[in-house]
Amino acid sequence: MSKTQKDIKPPRIGIYLLRKIYDRKIYDEISGDLQEIFLERVETKNRLLASSQYLLDVLLSARNYNLRRKKTYHTSSTAMIKNYLKITLRTIAKNKVYSALNILGLSLGIAAFIFILQYVSYENSYDKFHSNHRNLYRVMFKTYQDGQLRINCAAAVPRVGSFMKEKMPEVIDFARAYPLSGVMKKDDIKFREERIHIADPALIQIFDYPLLHGDSKTALNEPNQVVIAEEIARKYFGRTEVVGEPIIFNSWLDLDLIITGVAANVPDNSHFKFDFLISYETLNNFTRNDDGSVPSEESWGWYDYNTYVLLKEGANPQEFDKKFDQILVEERGEIFEESGRIQKFPLQPITDIHLYSNLLQESEPEEQGDGQAVLFLSIVAFFILIIAWINYINLSTARSVERAKEVGVRKTMGAYRKQLVNQFLTEALVINFISLVLGLVIVILGIRYFNQLTGSVLSINFLLNANFWLIAIGVFLAGSTLSGLYPAFVLSSFKPSSVLKGKFSGNHTGIILRKGLVVFQFAASVSLIAGTIIVSQQLSHMKNVKLGFNLANTLVIRGPQVFGADSLFASTFEAFRNDLLRNSEIESVTTSSNVPGNEIFWTNGIKRDEESADRRRTIYIAGVDYEYFPTYDIELLAGRNYGKSFSTDTGAVILNNAAVRFLDYESPEDAINKKVTFWGQPKTIVGVVDDYKQMSAKSEVAPIVFPLVPDASNFFTLKLKTNNFQEAFSAAQTSYDRFFPGNPFDYFVLDSFFNRLYDNEQQFSSVFTLFAAFAIVVACLGLFGLSSFSALQRTKEIGIRKALGAKMSGIMFILTKEFLQLILIANLIAWPVIYLIMDGWLNNFATRISIGITVFLFAGLLVVVIAILTVGYKTFVTAKSNPIHALRYE
Amino acid sequence: MKGTNLGEFEELVLLTVASLGTEAYAVSVKSSIAEHANRIVNISAIHSSLYRLEDKGFLTSEFGGATSKRGGKQKRYFRITNTGLVALQQSKDLKQQLWKTIPQLSFQLV
Repeated sequence: MSKTQKDIKPPRIGIYLLRKIYDRKIYDEISGDLQEIFLERVETKNRLLASSQYLLDVLLSARNYNLRRKKTYHTSSTAMIKNYLKITLRTIAKNKVYSALNILGLSLGIAAFIFILQYVSYENSYDKFHSNHRNLYRVMFKTYQDGQLRINCAAAVPRVGSFMKEKMPEVIDFARAYPLSGVMKKDDIKFREERIHIADPALIQIFDYPLLHGDSKTALNEPNQVVIAEEIARKYFGRTEVVGEPIIFNSWLDLDLIITGVAANVPDNSHFKFDFLISYETLNNFTRNDDGSVPSEESWGWYDYNTYVLLKEGANPQEFDKKFDQILVEERGEIFEESGRIQKFPLQPITDIHLYSNLLQESEPEEQGDGQAVLFLSIVAFFILIIAWINYINLSTARSVERAKEVGVRKTMGAYRKQLVNQFLTEALVINFISLVLGLVIVILGIRYFNQLTGSVLSINFLLNANFWLIAIGVFLAGSTLSGLYPAFVLSSFKPSSVLKGKFSGNHTGIILRKGLVVFQFAASVSLIAGTIIVSQQLSHMKNVKLGFNLANTLVIRGPQVFGADSLFASTFEAFRNDLLRNSEIESVTTSSNVPGNEIFWTNGIKRDEESADRRRTIYIAGVDYEYFPTYDIELLAGRNYGKSFSTDTGAVILNNAAVRFLDYESPEDAINKKVTFWGQPKTIVGVVDDYKQMSAKSEVAPIVFPLVPDASNFFTLKLKTNNFQEAFSAAQTSYDRFFPGNPFDYFVLDSFFNRLYDNEQQFSSVFTLFAAFAIVVACLGLFGLSSFSALQRTKEIGIRKALGAKMSGIMFILTKEFLQLILIANLIAWPVIYLIMDGWLNNFATRISIGITVFLFAGLLVVVIAILTVGYKTFVTAKSNPIHALRYE
Repeated sequence: MKGTNLGEFEELVLLTVASLGTEAYAVSVKSSIAEHANRIVNISAIHSSLYRLEDKGFLTSEFGGATSKRGGKQKRYFRITNTGLVALQQSKDLKQQLWKTIPQLSFQLV
């Protein structure tokens, strides 16, 4: 019996835990009690049960942890934490200026970081609200001729979507959207609408565009159905439950539509935006030919159809592209050979569209973001944060002299090194925490101004976002550790004996590190300043570059969509023009299919007359009347403008210089009187105009042909004699309402219309400027603190120098010199780096500035001036001080 | 100190120790409570009460014999102190007084 009892022991882990739980003094008796119960259970029940119950007893014993325990370590560590906090607060209160510099710098850094984080995450959030976003792709359209990419377009052809679905098993569904604009009319409420798309039923099924009223499964199935956005319903009807209501659409097609759905407004972060979706069958009915063919389903040529496909989970788009290329060649290889043109339809993930796409016919070209710029900003955000942390490290190590005595006394009194490290880490934690809170306050108060400045739509809702808090806490902890660890170990390493004897001399590696960090800070500041200057120079360069036309004092009215008979248009317009010209403010009036700044979608084939049909190239078309070129002040490089005196001008065309090169003529003069085949007819080139910037200076000028279309009624341009828009505007409105009744008077000032193309760069520039300023302020705060300490440390030296007759200017020079050296090194590092980065960025633009040395000199000089001003105050005070005080300070 | 008030479980433990006389240690208290009050109590709860009652001065303790059943560990025997008895008495008196004040009527209702 006794033998078995000895063998049977409670589980070892239980004994181990029990020993941890109970104090040594009572452990024996208690473990005896538990063992007694255990053995009893073994006898009455079985061993397994007894063991598990023993473990349960042990676990429940955890509540007795404090029983009879001498309160030693546990309470002492809370007491120490209290002490750390107390000392921290005292240190902060004692060195108000330095604490304020530290906290201000850190909170500015954190605020800048949060701002940029929000901005960047908003830019990255585009199209991610679709639950299918991982598997949704846009079908791009590329045409190659002679091995060269001729068309690189965001919108594809009608047939490709359905063809993909038939041939490729990966495709679950496809949807097309064909953009158009026109006048929508409900009784006498009518507006010109831009965001109208003719769309497949699948569009509201594969994308997350939920319907508030109506059924997404049937809303776009039948002809003449329309789904409208919520705000549109309010605009026309004053309510949202409008399913079943009629609405009339006037454009190049006139439609009586029935509203079958009201969709929630499209979120801002969607690359594709609509106010109206008209069912695709409507278009099919319109294009259906007598022989039953439907080009809007079958055409491989019209590239106006934004086409999206939803692939099966896990499908690889690259492999898809390869496979589809082959299938397409099988289907259409002969046609490719005949025409000498190869089409490709690669897929593009929809989440890449906003930031990484710059194709023809983007859905919202003005809104397209710039992935590179966003990446830049993310880097800048980290830089600012790092600069702020460096400030902390610099200031705390610089203060090591002052705190060396404290460390010595503490160590003598028996402080462990670990406790000192804890002390300094606590200080870092507290200061970082205060800064985080302050930074958040700055963000919350400043977000409105930030939005105004940058034209972004950030809100403080991010405070409710769990991810944001994860990042914030991560930044806080990383910052506290990074900025606290080094000073903590340096400060705690002092030997009490030497420190208390006053033998302390500046730690050499510490000085080098500090200098290195200052160099880094200022290199970052110089880079940001130079970057800012280059961005804004490029921006103003683009705005001031010779546009090739005059956009001043120009008012543009959108042409009428509602007009009785086309044949009457020309004479009505003539009467309208004459009526306007009677007004002394108006210099000239022209009508055209496009105006500068308005993307041309109209294309057709063109070739030199002598070439074979397979050499037909796609060219952009802008229909103009006789007055177009004079009104816009567009220079004729060769030949002449259209003239009413030339009765043969219906057989004439005018090209721009890019088109001359496109058709491989040697020069503008060479092209004059040559014949081309255009619209299936031979035409004579009578004039070549300058390459005016149709679409801003960002992009290359496309080849354009300007046929004479005197009844092109899309835009009426009014050139004013002065900038008295008010008078011309009211005259134009009266006259427009008289000649084109039933049409909304919809106008814009060309200057602002054209300059909206630069909104993105403008925004980038202001964001960049703002954060460069942030970075410089933060770096200067650090420099101010550092120079003050340096001056303080050298009080005695300066006293002696002054006593020996040094001049004030000389002393100031000595004090400033060491910082200037650092800034010089910083400049030398920053210049090549910034040159390489900005040169890469500038290469994105069709017209770009070259980076001159002046930019760098200016940025460097600016930093030097700021640094001297920052350092100057303290050095001035020190240099001016009476040497008696300096020498008596011991 | 809030000390002199007895919790319900503490009172039960105290009474049990008193009734066990010289044989009161954690395991015997546990089984006695199981027997008389029909309550299965975890040993850790007994420990926590016993030591706390000793801290309050209601119990006193001494070491007693070790058995092989206990792995050679000694027992701690608890005995009730005078203060402990007084506290029990007070608690009983208080309850009795309160019992007397209950109106006759409600007895009949039960």
